[in-house]
Amino acid sequence: MRKLYMELIRMRFLTMLAYRVNYYSGIIIYAINIGAYYFLWGAIYGGQQQLGGLTVEQMTSYVAIAWMSRAFYFNNIDTEIAQDVREGKVAIEMIRPYNYLSVKTAQAFGEGIFRFLFFAGPGIFLISLIIPFSFPATASGWGLYLISLMCAFLINTQINLVTGLLTFFLFRNDGMMRAKRVVVDLLSGLVLPISFFPGWAQTVMGYLPFQAVNYYPSLIFTGAITTQRSWELIGFQVIWMFVILVPILVMWRLARNKLVVQGG
Amino acid sequence: MIQVNHLQKDFRIHQSRPGLGGAFRDLFSREYKTVKAVDDLSFTVEEGEMFALIGENGAGKSTTIKMLTGILTPSDGEIVINGYVPFKQREDYVRSIGVVFGQRSQLWWDLSPLESFRLLKSVYKVDEIEGEKWLERLIEELEITPFVSQPVRKLSLGQRMRCEVAASLIHKPRLLFLDEPTVGLDVLVKQKIREFLRNLNETENMTILLTTHDVSDIEALCKRVLVMDKGKLIFDGLLNDLKEKWGNGTEVSFQMKKRTSAAVLRQALGEMPCKIEQINDFTLSVKVARSQEMLPFVLSTVMSSFEVSDVKIEETSTEDIVRNIYSSDQEVASHA
Amino acid sequence: MQNMRHIFSIFADYLSQYFKTRLAYRTDFIGDFVSNLVSELINLIFIIVVFTHVPLMGDWTRDEIIFIYGFFLVPYALFSMFFGFWDFNERYIIRGEMDRILTRPIHNLAQVCLESIAPDRIFGVITGIIIMGYAAIQLDLSFYWYDVFIFIGLSISGALIYGGVYTAIAAVSFFSDSRTGIAPMIYNIQQYGRYPVDVYNKAIRFVLTYVLPFAFVGVYPAAYFLRKEVWYTYAAMTPVVAVIFFGIGLIVWNWGVTKYRGAGS
Repeated sequence: MRKLYMELIRMRFLTMLAYRVNYYSGIIIYAINIGAYYFLWGAIYGGQQQLGGLTVEQMTSYVAIAWMSRAFYFNNIDTEIAQDVREGKVAIEMIRPYNYLSVKTAQAFGEGIFRFLFFAGPGIFLISLIIPFSFPATASGWGLYLISLMCAFLINTQINLVTGLLTFFLFRNDGMMRAKRVVVDLLSGLVLPISFFPGWAQTVMGYLPFQAVNYYPSLIFTGAITTQRSWELIGFQVIWMFVILVPILVMWRLARNKLVVQGG
Repeated sequence: MIQVNHLQKDFRIHQSRPGLGGAFRDLFSREYKTVKAVDDLSFTVEEGEMFALIGENGAGKSTTIKMLTGILTPSDGEIVINGYVPFKQREDYVRSIGVVFGQRSQLWWDLSPLESFRLLKSVYKVDEIEGEKWLERLIEELEITPFVSQPVRKLSLGQRMRCEVAASLIHKPRLLFLDEPTVGLDVLVKQKIREFLRNLNETENMTILLTTHDVSDIEALCKRVLVMDKGKLIFDGLLNDLKEKWGNGTEVSFQMKKRTSAAVLRQALGEMPCKIEQINDFTLSVKVARSQEMLPFVLSTVMSSFEVSDVKIEETSTEDIVRNIYSSDQEVASHA
Repeated sequence: MQNMRHIFSIFADYLSQYFKTRLAYRTDFIGDFVSNLVSELINLIFIIVVFTHVPLMGDWTRDEIIFIYGFFLVPYALFSMFFGFWDFNERYIIRGEMDRILTRPIHNLAQVCLESIAPDRIFGVITGIIIMGYAAIQLDLSFYWYDVFIFIGLSISGALIYGGVYTAIAAVSFFSDSRTGIAPMIYNIQQYGRYPVDVYNKAIRFVLTYVLPFAFVGVYPAAYFLRKEVWYTYAAMTPVVAVIFFGIGLIVWNWGVTKYRGAGS
């Protein structure tokens, strides 16, 4: 079984390598995005030393690392699931001797590793040459970041599984999935650190899983918080992972019954 | 009407390296192989001809038809059709042609064929009154009236295909291309479409070119056949000549009243170039090349020398011929 | 010119075909509408939140930035209405629909645009005008009667600039033999014209003015209505830039068509 999933991850990794234009355009997109936000934030800070609890240097690192983290956790498995459902392929997937959702997660992981190694790696190196940028000073800082990033990947994938599974019940939910993507970008702290939002909004967002997708790992990376606080954030991520598992399992069971009863 | 001179099309095909390391290297530099999909093709077609382009998968017929319709730009050589160079004067040229792709629809999937016809009429700027009359004739002759108002996605393949043919003819083109028009259709629909095409060719003097895998299409429709193999034209001529060139000739089997051996029969026929085969003690078969004098000679000689109870004459079918062409590479080379 | 007239007359036919399909299919109309609205508003939220911390971005006030954003939405919506072929690579190249397009007597780019037309994006224009209206009231802007025509001209120019760049990017599909992700590309680059270019450094400003001239879609033309006289020359250049870049897009596209390989064998 483990071999199967390793193979799936490898396959997706190779597929990603095959799409050369995607690769180059991806690098350009990420570079432009990071560059543009860097200057935008420079203008926003103006002469000010600190905004929303971050210095301008920390903000720079935050922007860069937030995009790099996104390179790892981002995937489109919800649209893939939706397509499988609409084309009726999912019925075939169900009779195969593996768990469909784990397969999708493995594929997403292959994609994530590819982007992390080939986009984010070289990208962050290039950016560190151009703009002042601080890496975590200690090995434990790096370790915490990577653990948190892995959790972020799992949470984002779970969110995608939820929206993907909704296709079983809604049939057409392309619009919702697209809207979800922008909403996650905003509420996860990609475009704007959570600490920038007004107090009431922060309270509301505290009850949502999105900031666990990007804000937590990025904050750990910038070194703006203590080690103990970092562990707390990772703890929150783990809790969220279990919480979101509930609707996934419920919906998966319902979806399977629906398929059995209606025959796809 | 169609003039093709030394037409050529090369494709650069990316060769992927094996394994993870190979895939990684592909990211930065790629190896390419150049393939000649169409190689030095020349032929001419007169107005009102009806002919078929045949060949195995990958022989280059699709590429050829795509160059003739202006979809692909040739690597070398020239094409002039109806006085146009297809890929250069595309928009003017395509007004004079109709194209049916067997695998691809030109109808709007969610709407009825009638809606698609209406849109195509304005795309081609078809004259209102005359266009309507022509469309009525198409609908009637293709017998699509019963389902012309149903959404295309609800039609069967045969129904859809007939609508596709109508759609490609909406502007009354002088030249019609059909790429694999009968794939997957049942015999009845095939017949209907063939009959329609033959009629169109006779009444409108429309030039029709089709590529096909189905030998019965060729036999039913075309006098002239072009055969392609590995990008080259290996035969251009009448269907009859094709049979002569690649047919197994004619096979005559004689049922004798007495036991007869092959050697005895050979003696009777003398030096005559033919192949004799003993089927059983009483039955012998003689294979002769397809030619006017041989067959009567064999028949009269055998009939006069032996007591024959039954004679069966079998001519090789076009299907056998096509199979022969495909299977005998050496022979192809010698004819080319 | 005759061809252009033909394309416009056919536009109505395709439009009616679109609505018939839409009705026949009953697609997720509300879903599309909401998702577009959400993406439009999220950028507004960014602006509003940032300005709770600072009074100015560069030399620009909050309402000025909001006005620029509102203006930007109008050409962007026009662009996405007429250049809705996000799935160009998948649908026309890989599945080979381009074959059919090329056998019809209308310019192939026009056909691709007409087939993927998205009239429901008109709501983006409305959202943009509402946002601009709000900002204009806050800023106490006054307009002349002819500003309406200038607005229309500048919006169309902006849409053409996007159209030209997007067409050129989409044409990459003709050359590449693999899947290309052009949709995320345009999704990501569309945002840079929204902020005043003088907040960026020289290099990015140069890129946004001369290479991928998105500044001409948002900030330069909007500056005219904000009466920022420093930028008037740039605002006036918008239609010229539109013609140049749409022309470049068209040339790259036409060149790409000659390299089209067709699907399958």
